[in-house]
Amino acid sequence: MKAKKTQEDGMGLVANKAAVWMEQGGSAQAESDQALVERAQQGDIEAFGELIGQHRNKARNWAERMTGDPYLADDVVQDALIRAFLHLGSLADTSRFLPWLHRIVQNQANMRLRRGGPFKREQPFTSWQGDASLNRVEWDNLDSILDHLTCMASKEAVKQNDPAERLLRKELYETIRALLHCLNRKERGIFEAYFFQQLSPDEIATMYHTTTGTVYTYLHRSRQKLRQTHLRATLGLHESKGGGCMSKQKVIQLPEWQRHYSAKMSFVDRIGHMLATLGDIRPTSELMGISGFAFRMKISNRTTFSDGIYVFDWRKVFRGLMDKLGYDASVVCGQLSNGPVPLLSAAERFPVVLPIEEAVLPFIRKYIDMGKPLLYFDTLADRPYVHEWALIYGYDDERRIAYVTDAMRENGKTVSYKEIAENPLRFLAGINGRKEDLSDQSDKLTVMERNKQAIKFAVNYARNGCDYVPMTTYLNYTSGLATYDRWILYLHNPEVAPNRYGIGQLAAVYADAKHQAARYLRGVQLQGESMRLTLLAAEAYEQAAEALDNISGEVPFVRSSEPLVSETLHKCREQLEKAKEFETAAIGYLENAIKRWGGEE
Amino acid sequence: MRQIRFLTEIAYNVKNVMEAKESFEQLNPDVQVVVEQAEDSFELFQAYKSEEAPDLIEMGGYPVGNRSGTFIDLNPYVAEIEGLEEDLFPGLLRVARHDGTLPGLPVEISPPLIMYNKEMFDQEGLMYPADDWFWDDMIGLAKRLTLRDESGLAKQFGFGIGIDIEWFEPFVMRNGGRYISPDGTTSRGYVDSPATIQAFRKIVEAFRLHRIIRLPDEPAETAKWPDEAAMNFAFAWDARHYRLKSGRYGVVGLPNMPGGEAANMIYMGGAGVTKKSANPRLAWEFLRHYLLERDSWMPPISKSQAEKRGLTAHPIWSRYLKELDHIQISGFFQNRKWNASRQLINEDIHR
Repeated sequence: MKAKKTQEDGMGLVANKAAVWMEQGGSAQAESDQALVERAQQGDIEAFGELIGQHRNKARNWAERMTGDPYLADDVVQDALIRAFLHLGSLADTSRFLPWLHRIVQNQANMRLRRGGPFKREQPFTSWQGDASLNRVEWDNLDSILDHLTCMASKEAVKQNDPAERLLRKELYETIRALLHCLNRKERGIFEAYFFQQLSPDEIATMYHTTTGTVYTYLHRSRQKLRQTHLRATLGLHESKGGGCMSKQKVIQLPEWQRHYSAKMSFVDRIGHMLATLGDIRPTSELMGISGFAFRMKISNRTTFSDGIYVFDWRKVFRGLMDKLGYDASVVCGQLSNGPVPLLSAAERFPVVLPIEEAVLPFIRKYIDMGKPLLYFDTLADRPYVHEWALIYGYDDERRIAYVTDAMRENGKTVSYKEIAENPLRFLAGINGRKEDLSDQSDKLTVMERNKQAIKFAVNYARNGCDYVPMTTYLNYTSGLATYDRWILYLHNPEVAPNRYGIGQLAAVYADAKHQAARYLRGVQLQGESMRLTLLAAEAYEQAAEALDNISGEVPFVRSSEPLVSETLHKCREQLEKAKEFETAAIGYLENAIKRWGGEE
Repeated sequence: MRQIRFLTEIAYNVKNVMEAKESFEQLNPDVQVVVEQAEDSFELFQAYKSEEAPDLIEMGGYPVGNRSGTFIDLNPYVAEIEGLEEDLFPGLLRVARHDGTLPGLPVEISPPLIMYNKEMFDQEGLMYPADDWFWDDMIGLAKRLTLRDESGLAKQFGFGIGIDIEWFEPFVMRNGGRYISPDGTTSRGYVDSPATIQAFRKIVEAFRLHRIIRLPDEPAETAKWPDEAAMNFAFAWDARHYRLKSGRYGVVGLPNMPGGEAANMIYMGGAGVTKKSANPRLAWEFLRHYLLERDSWMPPISKSQAEKRGLTAHPIWSRYLKELDHIQISGFFQNRKWNASRQLINEDIHR
């Protein structure tokens, strides 16, 4: 099993790290078991490794007491840890990790002892057959089980005399029989003929009037299906409980999301829609303002790529926004390591996670069952997008799909559980509920403070740029007002070809953001001269937005390999100069407003 | 009109791609080369998976072993051209052919060496280092070249290297250690081997004990980067873009480690013909034109181009090209999980 191997590698490294940490006198208990279990349940291998680093010795002591054999104890612990990792999603009470681990160690010890105690590995088949490979069956590994089955079938008579083996094989056949339900009739027939009746592919081909190649294809496909089903069964998903009778489905009716609500910055747009589903309908300009996205602008230092739109600290910004709105929220995030990950500059410090469904599906079901959609980063977004924030608003266990919004599909779409688990950049967030009840008065005060904070953020961001800086050395960005200069530079630098759809997306998103900034600033509740200056800033933002709209008109956000002609580049440069001038003026007004309200207070 | 599509994620070299496109189209009037850009390798592979897969992909990271199965094997195409195999730098071919096949031709090749500031050495009356130097020699020189005032504030550092687990790897390699097993499946027994640990210890001591390298956020009154240190761990791109023009710098190999292995890492990208290309031969012809017939990359991948461009006699470039004999596949290319963990590890080191 690939997942198991990866997990073991991760465990080793992290366990070593934890051991070093403890040796250094640090507080290895600083992060509670419960927090680590919750992280590990979401697929964070590092968190699991830390748990193991802390409890491996304890588990080994239990195992040695149970088996009375130090060598067997090592095997028991190893089996128990693998099993614990695979079943961690089923641990409902995360504060009960140790008793739960104890039970697993107990079960594994019993199983080992039942199989023949400490001498099991040296005794059984080898003494009869001289085939060492037979006693290395990995009982969690379907391929290993199937190989074992293949060998076993021809030696059945001999083994009938071994009661322990008979019992094991009975369990095994029951498992296989249950799993075989995932195959269709023909697949099942071919599979059984090959593994149970020991017919050769040639014989099976004759039997089914087909070619040997087709038989191999069927066997390969069947093994894949079985492997997936077995993994689900091992992880305690519904199919293992008998024919999918526990399967559930639920779809939340999302409120209508009219154009005037929407923002092109989909991170905020989707949060707005998520809140509206909970009955908290807010103007998008308010969300854009207090989240800072009305004032953010960032461009890649490579060319006019649009990835700067997505480069910020996702976890911190999401939690910060939820905090400001008075919500308690949870985030699951990670990066997969088995393929390219988009937006490395945003994902680089996400934990490395496994592509297992159990790490994400319980999280999704939990919120959907509460009637709450989840924020989801969709890497299968329809063109012209490459990826985008979306909402998951339903799931169907029977069809193994989730319902997901897509900017290019009014009626949403479905994404398979497999695709969600294999999303290379995992980011899901759900709102748990209100943190506290804010009285009208405190809410009003908070709104005032929030507005001032947002204006200060706007000025600081424009002048000093974004405080989030990727560690990956070759990924650099320019942000704030300096973005304009870099953008303009790309449009007349003969060394760098400007990226067409990047310009289209940057112009569309930032024009919209500046319209939202203008709307937000018009609505802030300031007094006297501060308010007048803020309104002037709003007007300047509106002008900047219009200049960027003009760029959108020249270079729309569509996929095209048509190179940009110099006349278009010239027009874009002119409009960027104009937008820069207006936004610089806007920031000047806001700086003065801040000075004034300091005096007015 | 035949068409081939070239998709690249390397933005700063697009001008050279466009020039290769123009000259190739002039040589082949019935061919149109469409050049497109992608933000990152995720987008490259999304494009490959789509119904409009490109004929050629140029990646910022070399597809070692072609594990994604995206590229055709270029070995037969290389073999067809007499003398080409011998003309390509053998060290490059050795690492590019991991797993036997050749999924692409390397681009953006960049091994690290030490670039030293000759003026800083002259001011201290020190001899310039030579390739037979050892780690302890480097530490001795760096101590002399680290200049601090009475309060301990640095005016100049002896050695310059960023805190990046990937950049420590060549010192580990030269000590006989490795981060990852040769098959890329595990770091157990490698990252925790005595040779690796010894190399790590030496690097940590250089930072913490000898204080010859700037610590994260350490206040200093040095000249600005790239001139804050006398000796600098410098990739070929660093040499080219930041140090060559000044004339102040000399170059020397990485110091020898006690393990005595002549090994080094390399960063490189790759450009290859995709399996979905309907015109693989035409795509190969363009690739050859772009990389071997035109001076599209610095340094180049062939001896004849290096010779023609005067690089084999150049005091700096000749040393970087010589280093290609010793390059090894690093953890960066061998294991994606290692690569994904890079900044998590760096964050831990910073803590």
